Formats: sequence, C-alpha cells, structure tokens
Amino acid sequence: MKKILIANRGEIAVRVIRACRDMGIATVAIYSECDRAALHVRLADEAWPVGPSAPRESYLRIDAIIEAAKKSGADAVHPGYGFLAENEDFAAACRDAGLVFIGPSPEAITLMGSKTAARQAAIKAGVPVVPGTEEPLSEDTSDADVLTVAERIGYPLMLKAVAGGGGKGMRMVSTPADLPAALRAARSEALSAFGDGAVYLERRILAPRHIEVQLLGDHHGTVLPFVERECSIQRRHQKVVEESPSLAVSPELRRRMTSAAAAVAKTVGYTNAGTIEFLLDRDGSFYFLEMNTRLQVEHPITEMVTGVDLVQWQIRIARGEPLTLAPESLLTPKAHAIECRIYAEDPETGFMPSPGRIQGLRVPHGPGVRDDSGAYEGGEVPIFYDPMISKLVTWGETRGHAIARMKRALAEYQVRGIRTTIPFFQWLLDDEDFKAARFDTTFIDRKWGAPGSRLPQAIDSAHEDLAVIAAAVHMFTRSTATVVSEPVSIWKQAGRAEALR
Amino acid sequence: MNFEIAVGHGVRTVSVTRQGSQLQVSIDGRTVVVDARRVGDMELSLLVAPAGGADPVHSVDASLAARRTAGDFDVHVAGRTIPVQVRLAGGFGRQKKAGAAQGTGPQRITAPMPGKIVRVLVKPGDEVKARQGLVVVEAMKMENELRAARDGRVRDVAVTEGQSVDAGALLLVVE
Repeated sequence: MKKILIANRGEIAVRVIRACRDMGIATVAIYSECDRAALHVRLADEAWPVGPSAPRESYLRIDAIIEAAKKSGADAVHPGYGFLAENEDFAAACRDAGLVFIGPSPEAITLMGSKTAARQAAIKAGVPVVPGTEEPLSEDTSDADVLTVAERIGYPLMLKAVAGGGGKGMRMVSTPADLPAALRAARSEALSAFGDGAVYLERRILAPRHIEVQLLGDHHGTVLPFVERECSIQRRHQKVVEESPSLAVSPELRRRMTSAAAAVAKTVGYTNAGTIEFLLDRDGSFYFLEMNTRLQVEHPITEMVTGVDLVQWQIRIARGEPLTLAPESLLTPKAHAIECRIYAEDPETGFMPSPGRIQGLRVPHGPGVRDDSGAYEGGEVPIFYDPMISKLVTWGETRGHAIARMKRALAEYQVRGIRTTIPFFQWLLDDEDFKAARFDTTFIDRKWGAPGSRLPQAIDSAHEDLAVIAAAVHMFTRSTATVVSEPVSIWKQAGRAEALR
Repeated sequence: MNFEIAVGHGVRTVSVTRQGSQLQVSIDGRTVVVDARRVGDMELSLLVAPAGGADPVHSVDASLAARRTAGDFDVHVAGRTIPVQVRLAGGFGRQKKAGAAQGTGPQRITAPMPGKIVRVLVKPGDEVKARQGLVVVEAMKMENELRAARDGRVRDVAVTEGQSVDAGALLLVVE
C-alpha cells in the first residue's frame, strides 16, 4: 500500500492523512467546490475535485471518487466516517476497481448496516437485544400498521431509521398520538440522510447509559475488543461528550460486555475497525443496540487510554497484517480520557448551526491535550456538512484530572467569528452530577432545559466589565492609531442611527 | 473618548482617556487603569488595576470577532464569549430602551442561516402559541425548528417548502 485516497473531508480526513504520513504512505484528498481551501486539501500530497458543494453531488458520488482514485494511482481508499463509510455499494465498487477498501467487507456492512439483521446476528451470538421489531417497516407501511406493531412493543418506544446513525432519523415516541408525526419526521430525515426511509421500532429503556466497545478484527480470525467508552452525554441522540473508561463499568462487567461484543463480531466474520453499541440498564443488564461498521468519531479516547493508533491498525489490517496487540493490555485502561465535540453551533439559540469564516483561532496545547481539527484561522465552515469542526481530547491519571485539563483546555480554546459549543461544555463540566458521573442518556435534555434558554453558567458582571474594557480599548486604540478607514464605518453608522431618530 | 456599550441586559457608559503610557477606562463611574498591548489584529493583552490607582497587574487576554453590524463584537475573555455592541456616546440610548420595552409589535421570523425550507407548519390566519413550531429549516444536515416567541396570529408566510433561503431572509410574520 503506497498511496491512499481519503474519501472524506474535514477533521477526520486530516486525522487519516496524519496516520498515513506517520506510516510513510502518500495521501490523496478529494474536495467539493466549497472545500477547495479546506485543511485536508492543504495537508494532502494530492487533491482531486469530485463535484459541487452539495454532498450528493460530491462526497457521496461513488463514481466520481472511484475515478479520482484510479486517476491518482491510489491503491487503497479510507472512507473515514459519515458520507460513504457505511455504504456497501461503495465498498464493493472499491473492490471491483481493484482498490483496497480500508474497512469491513461489503457483506459485513450490508449485514450490520441493517439494524434489524444486526439484531438477529446479536441474538445468534447469544447477546441480549432490546425488545422490538425484527423486520424493517418499509416506507409504504401505513400508519395504522405501524401503530399495531407499536402497540405490541409498548410505549414509550424509539423509532429508528433502519439505515440510521448519528441520531438522524430517530425519534422518541411517548404515546400513540405522537407516532404519525414522529414517523413522518424520521422517514423524511432518514430518506434525505441515507436515501432509505425504512424504520423499525424498539422499546425504550428508561434512563440507560450508552456504553460501546471498540473492536479490531484481522483477516486471520482474530477479533480484539478494547476497554469500553462511555457515551451517555447526548443531544438530539447525538453524542457530544465521551470518555473512557466508564465509571459505571466494573472490571467484571467489562469482561462480560467486551466478550459479548467480540462474539457478535465473530458471528459475522467481521474485519477491520468496528464498534458494538450497548444500552446499560440501571440494574447492570446490557442490551445490544447496533454495530457501527467504521471508525468512530470518539476513537481518540480509546487511543489515549490504550496507546494504540486505531487508524494505523485499520491500514495494517487492510494490507493483511495479523493483529499482534496484547489482548489483556487493550482491556486495561492506562489513563482516563475525555472528548468534547466542538460544533459550529450556538448553544444560546438552541444549538442553531453557526457557519461562516473563522476570524481567529487559538488552539489549546500543553500536557494531556489533543485537538483533532479541520479548522484554521481564515478558513470557512461551510453550511453543507456536519457542523463538527474539531474534537478536543484530554487525558489524565484519573477522571478528575482529565476533567480539570479539559476545563483548562476549553478556557484556552478560542474560535472567533462563529459560535461554537465551547460554552456549553464549560457549563457541563461544572455540573455536580457530571463531575460525580451520575448521568444517563437523558442528562442533557433534563438539565440543559428548553432550547433558547440562557446559559446556566451565567456570565457575571465582572466578566461583562472585562469584555466592555476590552471592546472600549480596542475601539480607542484603533481610532487613535493611523488606521482611518476601519473605525469610520462605526462612526458613520452612529451618525446614521442619529439621523434616523 | 466616550462610548455606550451594550452587554448582557444593560448599556454601560464608558470613557477612555490616555494617561501616560496607560489608559484610564471608566465604566458607569468606576475607573480602572489599563496597560494595553495589541498582540494581534483583534487581540489585546491587558493588565488591569482595580479602581483606586494600584499598579495594573491583573492579566486579561482578550480578543474580538467582528459581527455583521459595525461596532458589534464577540469578545473572548476569561474563557467566555461575550457579545457586546459598541456605539459612540448617545449612539443608541433611546433606541435600546425602546427595544427593552418590545414584546408587542409583529414578530418577523427570519432565517438564522442559509438553508432549505423543509416544512412550513402554519398558514396565514393560524393562531399560534409561544414556543410553537412555525417552520423547519435544514442546514448542516440538521433540521432546525423555528418557533414563535409569543402568542399571536400568522399574518404572512413568505416561503414555500423546498425553497432555499439566505441568512436573514424573511420567512413569516406573526402578529
């Protein structure tokens, strides 16, 4: 393997480019029109255009990407996550074109990509699943039929896209009256995100934790599980903070959960990186939720506590190397790691997307800090894609140590010109229940309150004074300096405001 | 030089004068001495002394991002992002006070970002309650529901489903 095309953009494309560099492998980026100057394009050895900005016309164009791979002479393709990462047609198209797809086989993607087939695989492996529909409910299934099935499972229940992931096409339904609207919304979201409107129903476990197990499988029959990740802090069913290990998982429970995860993967002959997601009930019982047949956003925390580079291992597995990692060491965390997903969203306006130009950027550094980012000063955050701009990861000897470092790193982190979720994490990290690891997947919905509410971590008047001083000094030193043109606009504006009275 | 600076829920009266190599900044009558160094185009290192004339030693790292309206900034300070609006003295005294009394008048619902109208949930003449969903805009792969701020009646709907809109575009009016 000499040259890898990365079929993705943003921070994950940058992450994969870095792994390739570390291994002395050449990199090929692809880009849409608005991403011409994106960081992944700037860092790669080669960059090939694949179409207009809309994902359907570029990053989801299998033909255009395969053509770019062929023209560039790449011998392998890394899909990252999102876009085509869990698309079996893409994996098959790579294989047909003689390219190594760095991920599982198209057959494994198909099987585990169907949430209903994946549930059957888990049952076959002897792993408990949440009660729900075994067969998908196609787009044409009438509301009445869905209601009948729902009645059998019982409320509250979860409505989920069969092709789903990342919280898209997922709705909680409390009463039969809410079902038709939720069904419409989930189908429309699933159709636009995955091109498949089929859904299924699952009983809702009240206040569970979301615990997942990272796996690597090689082409020689070895499957190795890693210490669990705690992913209960979610918003709109999307993870925003993850940590490893979980305080809710004892060494004994860890052994059972990781063995169950490995059993599911072995049942389907799984290869490369994948993740088994579980719901952990309050009584300690756990249920198979789904398998993600790709690298996860939160993979860095596993890397931090085990010292393993998962992306490099994805590449090594894809080129046929056997897994030589010591199984016991992967289940023994050597530190505590935590990740905050920095989104271009404004927490003060109900997490509205906040695309635009990054006017200024100061990234945290120092001991125990890792920032996996696709952003740079002067760069644009386009409206077309997922609003995550970076993943901030800290680690420490204990959970408290890792959290303290995260607070320090967030205070250092400045993204100017767009709004981000940094203030939200500052609020979260100060919460007593979070600090004590007393939480479940309903934590943010319960605690953060209604969208549009003011930040609970109120900015006090001393902070406001500092902001006022800074703004006044800025205007004063600007206007008395030689700069004439820039302050003029505000004077003009003040004049205009005066005239309008 | 005198400013009015809106921050939080109030407007502060601010004056800045030069005093040797330092600046004297007075906020609503409280005065601090500031040693300022510009360390970037929009970045300042400030050493601030409390009112009373001690040496400025309290170190404040501040940076600003300009917002769409001239004089409006996000100030990044002490790990926080604080929006401010700077105007010359008298620049918006009355206008701001009028704004505070708002809460009647028609609500103009505008697109907070460029995107696509996925669903229009109301039609002209509909009675709506505060926080009721009005229109769903898709941007950055997420559907965002825009809601009514107060009870009212839908007067105009300016968009149709499937339509693309720019940031700031008028979507509908509730009175």
